[in-house]
Amino acid sequence: MEQVTSKQPINGSNKKHQNNINNAFASHYAKSMFIAISGLAILTFIGTRMFTHVDLNLYGYMVGTIVFLGGFFYRFIAWGERPPTKIMIKKGIKLLFRKSTPKTSVDHLATYKFIWNRGIYRWTQHVMIGWGCLLACAVTFPLVFSWMYFTMEENGMYTIVLFGMDLMVVPADGAIAFLSYNALNISAIMVIIGVCMALYRRLKNMQARAEQQLFYDFLPLYLLLFISITGLLLTVINVFLHGKGHYVMSLIHQFSVIVTLIYLPFGKLAHIPFRPLSVFARNYREHYGEKEMKECKVCGTEFVSTEQSNDVINVLGTNNIEFNMNDGFNLAELCLPCRRKYRIARFSGSPTHQVPVKEANQNAKG
Amino acid sequence: MTMTINDSTYTTETAKTKRRLYMELENCIGCRSCLAACTQCGGHEQRNRNYVYDVNPLVNRQTMPLMCLHCVDPACARSCPAQAIQIHETGAVLSALVEKCIGCQNCTIACPYGIPKFDEEENLMYKCDLCIDRTKDDIPPMCASVCPSNTLQWLTEEEIAEKQNRHDLDNEKWVTSMPYLEGETNVKVNLPGILQGTVKLF
Ligand code: SF4
Ligand code: SF4
Repeated sequence: MEQVTSKQPINGSNKKHQNNINNAFASHYAKSMFIAISGLAILTFIGTRMFTHVDLNLYGYMVGTIVFLGGFFYRFIAWGERPPTKIMIKKGIKLLFRKSTPKTSVDHLATYKFIWNRGIYRWTQHVMIGWGCLLACAVTFPLVFSWMYFTMEENGMYTIVLFGMDLMVVPADGAIAFLSYNALNISAIMVIIGVCMALYRRLKNMQARAEQQLFYDFLPLYLLLFISITGLLLTVINVFLHGKGHYVMSLIHQFSVIVTLIYLPFGKLAHIPFRPLSVFARNYREHYGEKEMKECKVCGTEFVSTEQSNDVINVLGTNNIEFNMNDGFNLAELCLPCRRKYRIARFSGSPTHQVPVKEANQNAKG
Repeated sequence: MTMTINDSTYTTETAKTKRRLYMELENCIGCRSCLAACTQCGGHEQRNRNYVYDVNPLVNRQTMPLMCLHCVDPACARSCPAQAIQIHETGAVLSALVEKCIGCQNCTIACPYGIPKFDEEENLMYKCDLCIDRTKDDIPPMCASVCPSNTLQWLTEEEIAEKQNRHDLDNEKWVTSMPYLEGETNVKVNLPGILQGTVKLF
Protein backbone atom coordinates (compact mmCIF):
# COMPACT_ATOMS: atom_id res chain seq x y z
CA MET A 1 0.00 0.00 0.00
CA GLU A 2 1.32 3.37 -0.90
CA GLN A 3 1.53 5.87 1.87
CA VAL A 4 2.95 9.07 0.61
CA THR A 5 3.91 11.95 2.81
CA SER A 6 0.69 13.30 4.10
CA LYS A 7 -0.39 16.81 3.33
CA GLN A 8 -3.34 16.61 5.68
CA PRO A 9 -3.24 16.42 9.45
CA ILE A 10 -4.24 12.78 9.35
CA ASN A 11 -3.19 10.92 12.43
CA GLY A 12 -5.40 12.49 15.08
CA SER A 13 -5.13 11.65 18.73
CA ASN A 14 -5.82 7.97 18.77
CA LYS A 15 -4.23 7.14 22.08
CA LYS A 16 -5.60 10.04 24.04
CA HIS A 17 -8.98 9.26 22.65
CA GLN A 18 -8.92 5.69 23.92
CA ASN A 19 -8.17 6.86 27.43
CA ASN A 20 -11.02 9.29 27.25
CA ILE A 21 -13.52 6.60 26.46
CA ASN A 22 -12.49 4.41 29.33
CA ASN A 23 -12.53 7.10 31.97
CA ALA A 24 -15.45 9.00 30.64
CA PHE A 25 -17.85 6.20 30.04
CA ALA A 26 -18.85 5.33 33.57
CA SER A 27 -18.87 8.90 34.79
CA HIS A 28 -20.71 10.27 31.77
CA TYR A 29 -23.30 7.62 32.17
CA ALA A 30 -23.76 8.18 35.88
CA LYS A 31 -23.87 11.92 35.38
CA SER A 32 -26.53 11.85 32.65
CA MET A 33 -28.62 9.37 34.59
CA PHE A 34 -28.36 11.45 37.73
CA ILE A 35 -29.29 14.71 36.02
CA ALA A 36 -32.23 13.16 34.20
CA ILE A 37 -33.71 11.46 37.24
CA SER A 38 -33.22 14.52 39.42
CA GLY A 39 -34.91 16.58 36.73
CA LEU A 40 -37.86 14.20 36.62
CA ALA A 41 -38.13 14.22 40.41
CA ILE A 42 -38.05 18.01 40.63
CA LEU A 43 -40.65 18.41 37.90
CA THR A 44 -42.83 15.83 39.61
CA PHE A 45 -42.38 17.54 42.95
CA ILE A 46 -43.53 20.86 41.50
CA GLY A 47 -46.20 19.27 39.33
CA THR A 48 -47.81 17.35 42.17
CA ARG A 49 -47.87 20.33 44.50
CA MET A 50 -45.26 18.69 46.69
CA PHE A 51 -46.38 15.11 46.07
CA THR A 52 -49.97 15.70 47.16
CA HIS A 53 -51.47 14.64 43.84
CA VAL A 54 -49.60 11.44 42.91
CA ASP A 55 -51.61 8.94 40.90
CA LEU A 56 -50.28 5.62 42.13
CA ASN A 57 -52.07 3.64 39.42
CA LEU A 58 -49.45 4.98 37.09
CA TYR A 59 -46.51 3.82 39.17
CA GLY A 60 -45.53 1.10 36.65
CA TYR A 61 -44.96 3.70 33.97
CA MET A 62 -42.57 5.57 36.21
CA VAL A 63 -40.39 2.50 36.63
CA GLY A 64 -40.62 1.90 32.87
CA THR A 65 -39.49 5.44 32.12
CA ILE A 66 -36.50 5.17 34.38
CA VAL A 67 -35.44 1.86 32.84
CA PHE A 68 -35.86 3.48 29.44
CA LEU A 69 -33.60 6.37 30.45
CA GLY A 70 -30.95 3.87 31.55
CA GLY A 71 -31.00 2.11 28.19
CA PHE A 72 -31.16 5.35 26.28
CA PHE A 73 -28.12 6.92 27.92
CA TYR A 74 -26.21 3.70 27.56
CA ARG A 75 -26.83 3.70 23.81
CA PHE A 76 -26.41 7.40 23.37
CA ILE A 77 -23.07 7.64 25.12
CA ALA A 78 -21.60 4.59 23.38
CA TRP A 79 -22.76 6.08 20.11
CA GLY A 80 -21.62 9.63 20.80
CA GLU A 81 -18.07 8.43 21.47
CA ARG A 82 -17.57 7.27 17.87
CA PRO A 83 -15.30 9.79 16.14
CA PRO A 84 -17.67 10.77 13.28
CA THR A 85 -20.63 11.10 15.63
CA LYS A 86 -18.64 13.20 18.04
CA ILE A 87 -17.70 15.67 15.30
CA MET A 88 -21.25 15.89 14.03
CA ILE A 89 -22.67 16.52 17.51
CA LYS A 90 -20.02 19.07 18.44
CA LYS A 91 -20.28 21.09 15.25
CA GLY A 92 -24.04 20.62 15.15
CA ILE A 93 -24.47 22.24 18.55
CA LYS A 94 -22.22 25.09 17.50
CA LEU A 95 -24.35 25.70 14.41
CA LEU A 96 -27.68 25.24 16.14
CA PHE A 97 -28.65 28.89 15.84
CA ARG A 98 -28.52 29.17 12.07
CA LYS A 99 -31.41 31.03 10.51
CA SER A 100 -32.56 27.94 8.67
CA THR A 101 -32.73 25.71 11.76
CA PRO A 102 -36.46 26.13 12.47
CA LYS A 103 -37.40 25.37 8.88
CA THR A 104 -35.08 22.37 8.63
CA SER A 105 -36.38 21.05 11.94
CA VAL A 106 -39.98 21.29 10.82
CA ASP A 107 -39.18 19.62 7.48
CA HIS A 108 -37.21 16.81 9.09
CA LEU A 109 -38.98 16.23 12.38
CA ALA A 110 -42.57 17.37 11.96
CA THR A 111 -43.73 17.19 8.35
CA TYR A 112 -41.26 14.52 7.20
CA LYS A 113 -40.79 16.13 3.80
CA PHE A 114 -38.03 13.70 2.83
CA ILE A 115 -40.37 10.76 3.45
CA TRP A 116 -42.98 12.43 1.25
CA ASN A 117 -40.34 12.26 -1.47
CA ARG A 118 -39.94 8.56 -0.81
CA GLY A 119 -43.63 7.97 -1.48
CA ILE A 120 -47.05 9.12 -0.30
CA TYR A 121 -48.00 5.76 1.15
CA ARG A 122 -44.90 5.67 3.31
CA TRP A 123 -45.43 9.24 4.33
CA THR A 124 -49.05 8.70 5.42
CA GLN A 125 -48.03 5.65 7.36
CA HIS A 126 -45.19 7.50 9.04
CA VAL A 127 -47.30 10.53 9.94
CA MET A 128 -49.95 8.29 11.47
CA ILE A 129 -47.48 6.34 13.58
CA GLY A 130 -45.17 9.26 14.36
CA TRP A 131 -47.77 11.79 15.35
CA GLY A 132 -49.92 9.17 17.04
CA CYS A 133 -46.98 8.25 19.28
CA LEU A 134 -46.00 11.86 19.92
CA LEU A 135 -49.54 12.80 20.88
CA ALA A 136 -49.84 9.79 23.16
CA CYS A 137 -46.54 10.58 24.87
CA ALA A 138 -47.47 14.24 25.23
CA VAL A 139 -50.58 13.21 27.12
CA THR A 140 -49.34 10.17 29.01
CA PHE A 141 -46.08 11.35 30.50
CA PRO A 142 -47.40 14.52 32.10
CA LEU A 143 -50.16 12.39 33.61
CA VAL A 144 -47.73 9.73 34.82
CA PHE A 145 -45.49 12.17 36.59
CA SER A 146 -48.50 14.15 37.65
CA TRP A 147 -47.27 17.22 35.81
CA MET A 148 -50.82 17.55 34.52
CA TYR A 149 -54.12 16.45 35.96
CA PHE A 150 -57.79 17.37 36.00
CA THR A 151 -59.82 18.49 38.98
CA MET A 152 -63.50 19.28 39.23
CA GLU A 153 -63.96 22.09 41.69
CA GLU A 154 -67.41 23.20 40.67
CA ASN A 155 -69.91 20.91 39.07
CA GLY A 156 -69.74 20.59 35.31
CA MET A 157 -66.43 22.44 35.01
CA TYR A 158 -63.02 20.79 34.79
CA THR A 159 -59.85 22.59 35.78
CA ILE A 160 -56.76 21.50 33.87
CA VAL A 161 -53.74 21.79 36.15
CA LEU A 162 -50.29 21.95 34.57
CA PHE A 163 -47.23 21.99 36.81
CA GLY A 164 -49.34 22.93 39.77
CA MET A 165 -50.85 25.96 38.02
CA ASP A 166 -54.45 26.14 36.98
CA LEU A 167 -54.15 26.27 33.22
CA MET A 168 -57.78 26.68 32.27
CA VAL A 169 -61.29 25.86 33.29
CA VAL A 170 -63.39 24.07 30.69
CA PRO A 171 -66.94 22.78 30.66
CA ALA A 172 -66.97 19.01 31.17
CA ASP A 173 -69.04 18.40 28.07
CA GLY A 174 -67.25 20.94 25.86
CA ALA A 175 -65.00 20.33 22.89
CA ILE A 176 -61.68 20.85 24.67
CA ALA A 177 -62.61 18.46 27.42
CA PHE A 178 -63.80 15.93 24.85
CA LEU A 179 -60.53 16.16 22.94
CA SER A 180 -58.53 15.92 26.15
CA TYR A 181 -59.99 12.72 27.40
CA ASN A 182 -60.19 11.24 23.96
CA ALA A 183 -56.68 12.25 22.99
CA LEU A 184 -55.37 8.79 23.78
CA ASN A 185 -58.16 7.13 21.81
CA ILE A 186 -57.44 9.33 18.83
CA SER A 187 -53.74 8.62 19.00
CA ALA A 188 -54.42 4.89 19.37
CA ILE A 189 -56.52 4.90 16.22
CA MET A 190 -53.86 6.84 14.34
CA VAL A 191 -51.17 4.36 15.38
CA ILE A 192 -53.36 1.38 14.49
CA ILE A 193 -53.99 2.78 11.00
CA GLY A 194 -50.29 3.50 10.49
CA VAL A 195 -49.14 0.11 11.75
CA CYS A 196 -51.70 -1.70 9.62
CA MET A 197 -50.48 0.20 6.56
CA ALA A 198 -46.90 -0.75 7.41
CA LEU A 199 -47.77 -4.40 7.96
CA TYR A 200 -49.81 -4.50 4.77
CA ARG A 201 -46.91 -3.13 2.76
CA ARG A 202 -44.52 -5.62 4.28
CA LEU A 203 -46.75 -8.61 3.65
CA LYS A 204 -48.06 -7.69 0.20
CA ASN A 205 -44.98 -6.24 -1.38
CA MET A 206 -42.52 -9.04 -2.11
CA GLN A 207 -39.67 -6.58 -2.39
CA ALA A 208 -40.34 -5.15 1.03
CA ARG A 209 -40.84 -8.62 2.47
CA ALA A 210 -37.40 -9.79 1.42
CA GLU A 211 -35.69 -7.16 3.52
CA GLN A 212 -37.58 -7.68 6.75
CA GLN A 213 -36.28 -9.17 9.95
CA LEU A 214 -38.54 -10.28 12.77
CA PHE A 215 -36.86 -8.56 15.67
CA TYR A 216 -35.76 -5.44 13.91
CA ASP A 217 -38.72 -4.68 11.65
CA PHE A 218 -41.79 -6.52 12.89
CA LEU A 219 -41.39 -6.47 16.65
CA PRO A 220 -41.71 -2.68 17.01
CA LEU A 221 -44.86 -2.74 14.87
CA TYR A 222 -46.42 -5.50 16.94
CA LEU A 223 -45.49 -3.67 20.14
CA LEU A 224 -47.16 -0.46 18.97
CA LEU A 225 -50.21 -2.44 17.91
CA PHE A 226 -50.30 -4.17 21.30
CA ILE A 227 -50.19 -0.85 23.14
CA SER A 228 -52.85 0.80 20.99
CA ILE A 229 -55.30 -2.08 21.10
CA THR A 230 -55.05 -2.62 24.86
CA GLY A 231 -55.39 1.14 25.31
CA LEU A 232 -58.52 1.26 23.18
CA LEU A 233 -59.93 -1.75 24.99
CA LEU A 234 -59.67 0.21 28.23
CA THR A 235 -62.03 2.77 26.77
CA VAL A 236 -64.34 0.07 25.46
CA ILE A 237 -64.45 -1.53 28.90
CA ASN A 238 -65.28 1.76 30.55
CA VAL A 239 -67.95 2.78 28.10
CA PHE A 240 -69.68 -0.50 27.29
CA LEU A 241 -68.87 -2.89 30.11
CA HIS A 242 -69.15 -0.44 32.96
CA GLY A 243 -65.53 -0.95 33.91
CA LYS A 244 -65.67 -4.74 34.24
CA GLY A 245 -62.14 -6.13 33.94
CA HIS A 246 -60.70 -2.66 33.85
CA TYR A 247 -58.02 -3.44 36.39
CA VAL A 248 -56.65 -6.47 34.55
CA MET A 249 -56.69 -4.68 31.22
CA SER A 250 -54.93 -1.67 32.66
CA LEU A 251 -52.20 -3.96 33.95
CA ILE A 252 -51.82 -5.54 30.51
CA HIS A 253 -51.69 -2.10 28.95
CA GLN A 254 -49.05 -0.93 31.41
CA PHE A 255 -47.06 -4.06 30.68
CA SER A 256 -47.15 -3.36 26.93
CA VAL A 257 -45.94 0.19 27.43
CA ILE A 258 -43.13 -0.83 29.75
CA VAL A 259 -41.86 -3.55 27.38
CA THR A 260 -41.86 -1.04 24.53
CA LEU A 261 -39.99 1.54 26.57
CA ILE A 262 -37.33 -1.02 27.42
CA TYR A 263 -37.03 -2.11 23.78
CA LEU A 264 -37.02 1.42 22.40
CA PRO A 265 -33.34 2.40 22.69
CA PHE A 266 -32.18 -0.80 21.00
CA GLY A 267 -34.38 -1.53 18.01
CA LYS A 268 -35.79 0.29 15.06
CA LEU A 269 -37.61 2.79 17.27
CA ALA A 270 -34.25 4.07 18.48
CA HIS A 271 -34.29 6.43 15.52
CA ILE A 272 -36.88 8.56 17.34
CA PRO A 273 -34.52 10.02 19.97
CA PHE A 274 -31.53 10.06 17.57
CA ARG A 275 -33.23 11.61 14.57
CA PRO A 276 -32.68 15.31 15.48
CA LEU A 277 -29.10 14.74 14.37
CA SER A 278 -30.31 15.05 10.79
CA VAL A 279 -30.86 18.75 11.47
CA PHE A 280 -27.27 18.99 12.69
CA ALA A 281 -26.08 17.26 9.53
CA ARG A 282 -28.01 19.64 7.28
CA ASN A 283 -26.70 22.71 9.13
CA TYR A 284 -23.18 21.33 8.95
CA ARG A 285 -23.36 20.86 5.20
CA GLU A 286 -24.98 24.22 4.57
CA HIS A 287 -22.75 26.27 6.85
CA TYR A 288 -19.40 24.89 5.75
CA GLY A 289 -20.58 24.71 2.14
CA GLU A 290 -21.14 28.48 2.18
CA LYS A 291 -17.79 29.02 3.83
CA GLU A 292 -15.49 27.17 1.46
CA MET A 293 -15.94 24.46 -1.11
CA LYS A 294 -13.34 21.88 -2.00
CA GLU A 295 -12.30 21.63 -5.62
CA CYS A 296 -11.69 18.20 -7.08
CA LYS A 297 -7.94 17.72 -7.46
CA VAL A 298 -8.44 16.32 -10.96
CA CYS A 299 -11.29 18.17 -12.67
CA GLY A 300 -11.74 21.20 -10.41
CA THR A 301 -15.45 20.70 -9.73
CA GLU A 302 -16.55 21.91 -6.31
CA PHE A 303 -18.07 18.83 -4.74
CA VAL A 304 -18.05 19.13 -0.93
CA SER A 305 -17.11 21.62 1.76
CA THR A 306 -13.42 21.76 2.65
CA GLU A 307 -14.38 21.26 6.29
CA GLN A 308 -16.18 17.98 5.60
CA SER A 309 -13.43 16.66 3.38
CA ASN A 310 -10.90 17.30 6.16
CA ASP A 311 -13.19 15.89 8.83
CA VAL A 312 -13.67 12.66 6.91
CA ILE A 313 -9.93 12.33 6.33
CA ASN A 314 -9.35 12.82 10.06
CA VAL A 315 -12.04 10.39 11.13
CA LEU A 316 -10.62 7.71 8.85
CA GLY A 317 -7.20 8.55 10.29
CA THR A 318 -8.38 7.71 13.81
CA ASN A 319 -9.36 4.31 12.41
CA ASN A 320 -5.96 3.91 10.76
CA ILE A 321 -7.37 4.21 7.27
CA GLU A 322 -5.37 6.49 4.98
CA PHE A 323 -5.98 7.08 1.31
CA ASN A 324 -3.04 9.24 0.27
CA MET A 325 -2.05 8.44 -3.30
CA ASN A 326 1.31 8.51 -5.03
CA ASP A 327 -0.20 11.01 -7.42
CA GLY A 328 -0.21 13.59 -4.64
CA PHE A 329 -3.77 13.65 -3.38
CA ASN A 330 -5.99 12.00 -0.85
CA LEU A 331 -8.89 10.11 -2.37
CA ALA A 332 -11.32 12.23 -0.36
CA GLU A 333 -10.11 15.20 -2.44
CA LEU A 334 -11.45 13.80 -5.73
CA CYS A 335 -15.04 14.29 -6.82
CA LEU A 336 -16.97 11.03 -7.08
CA PRO A 337 -16.77 10.49 -10.86
CA CYS A 338 -13.05 11.27 -10.86
CA ARG A 339 -12.52 8.93 -7.91
CA ARG A 340 -14.21 6.11 -9.81
CA LYS A 341 -12.26 6.85 -12.98
CA TYR A 342 -9.06 6.96 -10.98
CA ARG A 343 -9.76 3.43 -9.78
CA ILE A 344 -10.37 2.27 -13.34
CA ALA A 345 -7.04 3.86 -14.18
CA ARG A 346 -5.36 1.88 -11.40
CA PHE A 347 -6.96 -1.31 -12.73
CA SER A 348 -6.14 -0.76 -16.37
CA GLY A 349 -2.94 1.24 -16.41
CA SER A 350 -4.38 3.88 -18.75
CA PRO A 351 -5.08 7.27 -17.12
CA THR A 352 -8.87 7.22 -17.41
CA HIS A 353 -9.32 10.06 -14.91
CA GLN A 354 -7.18 12.38 -17.07
CA VAL A 355 -9.35 11.94 -20.16
CA PRO A 356 -11.75 14.90 -20.24
CA VAL A 357 -14.80 12.91 -21.25
CA LYS A 358 -17.93 12.77 -19.13
CA GLU A 359 -18.80 9.36 -17.71
CA ALA A 360 -21.11 7.67 -20.19
CA ASN A 361 -24.56 6.22 -19.48
CA GLN A 362 -24.47 5.20 -15.85
CA ASN A 363 -28.18 4.79 -15.24
CA ALA A 364 -29.22 1.78 -17.28
CA LYS A 365 -31.56 3.83 -19.44
CA GLY A 366 -30.59 2.37 -22.83
CA MET B 1 -16.99 -28.80 -10.05
CA THR B 2 -14.29 -31.38 -9.40
CA MET B 3 -10.68 -30.48 -9.16
CA THR B 4 -7.66 -31.00 -7.03
CA ILE B 5 -6.06 -28.14 -5.28
CA ASN B 6 -2.52 -28.35 -4.04
CA ASP B 7 -2.66 -25.37 -1.81
CA SER B 8 -3.70 -26.67 1.60
CA THR B 9 -5.11 -23.36 2.78
CA TYR B 10 -7.97 -23.74 0.36
CA THR B 11 -9.09 -27.21 1.33
CA THR B 12 -11.25 -26.17 4.25
CA GLU B 13 -14.98 -26.64 4.21
CA THR B 14 -15.77 -22.93 3.86
CA ALA B 15 -13.52 -22.63 0.84
CA LYS B 16 -15.79 -25.13 -0.90
CA THR B 17 -19.05 -23.45 0.06
CA LYS B 18 -18.42 -19.76 0.65
CA ARG B 19 -19.02 -17.87 -2.58
CA ARG B 20 -17.82 -14.43 -3.51
CA LEU B 21 -18.32 -11.98 -6.29
CA TYR B 22 -15.34 -12.29 -8.61
CA MET B 23 -14.55 -9.87 -11.44
CA GLU B 24 -12.42 -10.49 -14.51
CA LEU B 25 -12.20 -6.92 -15.65
CA GLU B 26 -11.05 -7.14 -19.23
CA ASN B 27 -13.87 -9.49 -20.25
CA CYS B 28 -16.31 -6.58 -20.07
CA ILE B 29 -18.02 -5.79 -23.39
CA GLY B 30 -19.87 -2.71 -22.11
CA CYS B 31 -23.38 -4.08 -22.56
CA ARG B 32 -24.51 -2.63 -19.19
CA SER B 33 -26.66 -5.63 -18.40
CA CYS B 34 -25.37 -5.46 -14.85
CA LEU B 35 -26.72 -1.92 -14.47
CA ALA B 36 -30.12 -2.95 -15.78
CA ALA B 37 -30.22 -6.04 -13.58
CA CYS B 38 -29.28 -3.99 -10.53
CA THR B 39 -32.39 -1.83 -10.92
CA GLN B 40 -34.54 -4.95 -10.56
CA CYS B 41 -33.13 -6.16 -7.27
CA GLY B 42 -35.41 -6.21 -4.23
CA GLY B 43 -35.33 -2.87 -2.43
CA HIS B 44 -33.38 -1.05 -5.13
CA GLU B 45 -36.47 0.81 -6.31
CA GLN B 46 -35.55 0.81 -9.98
CA ARG B 47 -32.22 2.56 -9.52
CA ASN B 48 -28.89 0.93 -10.24
CA ARG B 49 -26.02 1.16 -7.80
CA ASN B 50 -23.10 0.04 -9.97
CA TYR B 51 -21.04 1.59 -12.75
CA VAL B 52 -19.49 0.76 -16.13
CA TYR B 53 -16.63 2.92 -17.37
CA ASP B 54 -14.91 3.48 -20.69
CA VAL B 55 -11.28 2.88 -19.93
CA ASN B 56 -9.80 5.16 -22.58
CA PRO B 57 -12.80 6.58 -24.42
CA LEU B 58 -10.94 8.58 -27.09
CA VAL B 59 -8.71 5.68 -28.05
CA ASN B 60 -10.53 2.34 -27.79
CA ARG B 61 -13.78 0.66 -26.77
CA GLN B 62 -12.59 -1.21 -23.69
CA THR B 63 -14.96 -0.92 -20.74
CA MET B 64 -14.79 -2.10 -17.14
CA PRO B 65 -17.42 -2.42 -14.43
CA LEU B 66 -17.00 -0.87 -11.01
CA MET B 67 -19.08 -1.62 -7.97
CA CYS B 68 -18.79 -1.71 -4.23
CA LEU B 69 -15.99 -4.11 -3.36
CA HIS B 70 -17.34 -4.76 0.14
CA CYS B 71 -14.24 -3.79 2.06
CA VAL B 72 -13.28 -5.86 5.09
CA ASP B 73 -12.75 -2.60 6.99
CA PRO B 74 -15.20 -0.33 5.15
CA ALA B 75 -14.38 3.38 5.17
CA CYS B 76 -18.00 4.23 4.44
CA ALA B 77 -19.27 2.57 7.63
CA ARG B 78 -16.36 3.93 9.66
CA SER B 79 -17.20 7.49 8.70
CA CYS B 80 -20.97 7.26 9.24
CA PRO B 81 -22.05 9.20 12.33
CA ALA B 82 -25.41 7.44 12.49
CA GLN B 83 -24.18 3.85 12.23
CA ALA B 84 -26.56 3.53 9.32
CA ILE B 85 -24.27 1.25 7.30
CA GLN B 86 -24.38 -2.26 8.71
CA ILE B 87 -22.11 -5.16 7.86
CA HIS B 88 -23.91 -8.42 7.21
CA GLU B 89 -22.55 -11.69 8.60
CA THR B 90 -21.61 -12.71 5.05
CA GLY B 91 -19.28 -9.70 4.90
CA ALA B 92 -21.55 -7.66 2.61
CA VAL B 93 -21.54 -3.96 3.49
CA LEU B 94 -25.21 -2.99 3.37
CA SER B 95 -26.94 0.12 2.08
CA ALA B 96 -27.96 2.77 4.62
CA LEU B 97 -30.82 1.87 6.92
CA VAL B 98 -33.52 4.32 5.88
CA GLU B 99 -34.52 5.33 9.39
CA LYS B 100 -30.98 5.85 10.57
CA CYS B 101 -29.29 7.74 7.70
CA ILE B 102 -29.18 11.42 8.59
CA GLY B 103 -28.03 12.51 5.16
CA CYS B 104 -24.59 13.89 6.00
CA GLN B 105 -22.89 12.24 2.98
CA ASN B 106 -19.72 11.40 4.90
CA CYS B 107 -19.81 7.93 3.37
CA THR B 108 -19.66 9.26 -0.18
CA ILE B 109 -16.56 11.26 0.70
CA ALA B 110 -14.95 8.39 2.61
CA CYS B 111 -15.34 5.54 0.11
CA PRO B 112 -12.01 5.21 -1.75
CA TYR B 113 -13.83 4.14 -4.93
CA GLY B 114 -16.65 6.70 -4.93
CA ILE B 115 -19.41 4.09 -4.73
CA PRO B 116 -22.25 5.33 -2.46
CA LYS B 117 -24.90 7.41 -4.21
CA PHE B 118 -26.97 10.08 -2.53
CA ASP B 119 -30.56 11.11 -3.14
CA GLU B 120 -30.95 14.79 -2.20
CA GLU B 121 -34.76 14.72 -2.32
CA GLU B 122 -35.10 11.71 -0.06
CA ASN B 123 -32.10 12.78 2.05
CA LEU B 124 -30.84 9.22 1.86
CA MET B 125 -27.71 7.36 0.83
CA TYR B 126 -28.00 4.16 -1.18
CA LYS B 127 -25.29 1.76 -2.29
CA CYS B 128 -24.68 -1.78 -3.51
CA ASP B 129 -25.81 -4.27 -0.86
CA LEU B 130 -24.59 -7.28 -2.87
CA CYS B 131 -28.30 -8.13 -3.31
CA ILE B 132 -28.27 -9.38 0.25
CA ASP B 133 -31.67 -11.05 0.09
CA ARG B 134 -30.21 -13.24 -2.69
CA THR B 135 -26.60 -13.70 -1.63
CA LYS B 136 -27.46 -14.57 1.97
CA ASP B 137 -29.06 -17.70 0.48
CA ASP B 138 -26.15 -18.22 -1.90
CA ILE B 139 -28.07 -17.00 -4.95
CA PRO B 140 -25.74 -14.90 -7.12
CA PRO B 141 -26.27 -11.11 -7.05
CA MET B 142 -28.28 -9.68 -9.96
CA CYS B 143 -25.24 -8.33 -11.81
CA ALA B 144 -23.39 -11.64 -11.78
CA SER B 145 -26.57 -13.50 -12.78
CA VAL B 146 -26.89 -11.60 -16.02
CA CYS B 147 -23.35 -10.78 -17.08
CA PRO B 148 -22.99 -12.40 -20.53
CA SER B 149 -19.21 -12.15 -20.74
CA ASN B 150 -18.20 -13.75 -17.44
CA THR B 151 -16.82 -10.48 -16.20
CA LEU B 152 -18.88 -10.88 -13.05
CA GLN B 153 -19.02 -14.34 -11.54
CA TRP B 154 -20.21 -15.88 -8.29
CA LEU B 155 -17.55 -18.40 -7.29
CA THR B 156 -16.43 -20.41 -4.29
CA GLU B 157 -13.10 -19.56 -2.78
CA GLU B 158 -11.85 -22.84 -4.16
CA GLU B 159 -12.79 -21.85 -7.68
CA ILE B 160 -11.18 -18.47 -7.24
CA ALA B 161 -8.02 -20.20 -6.02
CA GLU B 162 -8.04 -22.36 -9.10
CA LYS B 163 -8.31 -19.25 -11.27
CA GLN B 164 -5.34 -17.90 -9.42
CA ASN B 165 -3.33 -21.04 -10.15
CA ARG B 166 -4.20 -20.80 -13.80
CA HIS B 167 -3.28 -17.14 -14.11
CA ASP B 168 -0.47 -16.97 -11.63
CA LEU B 169 2.64 -15.80 -13.39
CA ASP B 170 4.71 -15.57 -10.28
CA ASN B 171 5.15 -11.85 -10.82
CA GLU B 172 2.92 -10.89 -7.89
CA LYS B 173 0.50 -9.27 -10.25
CA TRP B 174 -2.37 -11.64 -9.79
CA VAL B 175 -5.65 -10.20 -8.67
CA THR B 176 -7.33 -8.66 -5.81
CA SER B 177 -6.59 -6.28 -3.07
CA MET B 178 -3.15 -4.95 -2.56
CA PRO B 179 -1.51 -3.11 -4.14
CA TYR B 180 -4.21 -2.18 -6.65
CA LEU B 181 -6.90 -1.66 -4.02
CA GLU B 182 -6.82 0.31 -0.81
CA GLY B 183 -7.51 -2.57 1.53
CA GLU B 184 -8.69 -6.16 1.86
CA THR B 185 -12.02 -6.64 0.10
CA ASN B 186 -14.67 -9.35 0.01
CA VAL B 187 -15.12 -9.00 -3.73
CA LYS B 188 -12.14 -10.39 -5.62
CA VAL B 189 -10.80 -8.61 -8.67
CA ASN B 190 -8.67 -10.17 -11.39
CA LEU B 191 -6.63 -7.41 -12.96
CA PRO B 192 -6.52 -7.21 -16.74
CA GLY B 193 -4.02 -9.36 -18.58
CA ILE B 194 -2.08 -6.30 -19.78
CA LEU B 195 -1.09 -5.55 -16.22
CA GLN B 196 -0.18 -9.13 -15.56
CA GLY B 197 2.04 -9.23 -18.59
CA THR B 198 -0.11 -11.71 -20.50
CA VAL B 199 -2.84 -11.81 -23.10
CA LYS B 200 -5.67 -14.19 -22.33
CA LEU B 201 -6.89 -16.73 -24.86
CA PHE B 202 -10.63 -17.07 -24.95
S1 SF4 C 1 -16.08 -0.01 -1.66
FE1 SF4 C 1 -16.77 1.93 -0.72
S2 SF4 C 1 -18.94 1.63 -0.42
FE2 SF4 C 1 -18.07 -0.40 -0.73
S3 SF4 C 1 -17.60 -1.14 1.34
FE3 SF4 C 1 -15.74 -0.18 0.56
S4 SF4 C 1 -15.87 1.91 1.34
FE4 SF4 C 1 -17.93 1.07 1.51
S1 SF4 D 1 -25.18 9.91 4.41
FE1 SF4 D 1 -26.28 8.48 5.75
S2 SF4 D 1 -25.21 6.53 5.48
FE2 SF4 D 1 -23.86 8.13 4.68
S3 SF4 D 1 -22.52 8.66 6.37
FE3 SF4 D 1 -24.24 10.10 6.44
S4 SF4 D 1 -25.72 9.14 7.82
FE4 SF4 D 1 -24.27 7.55 7.23
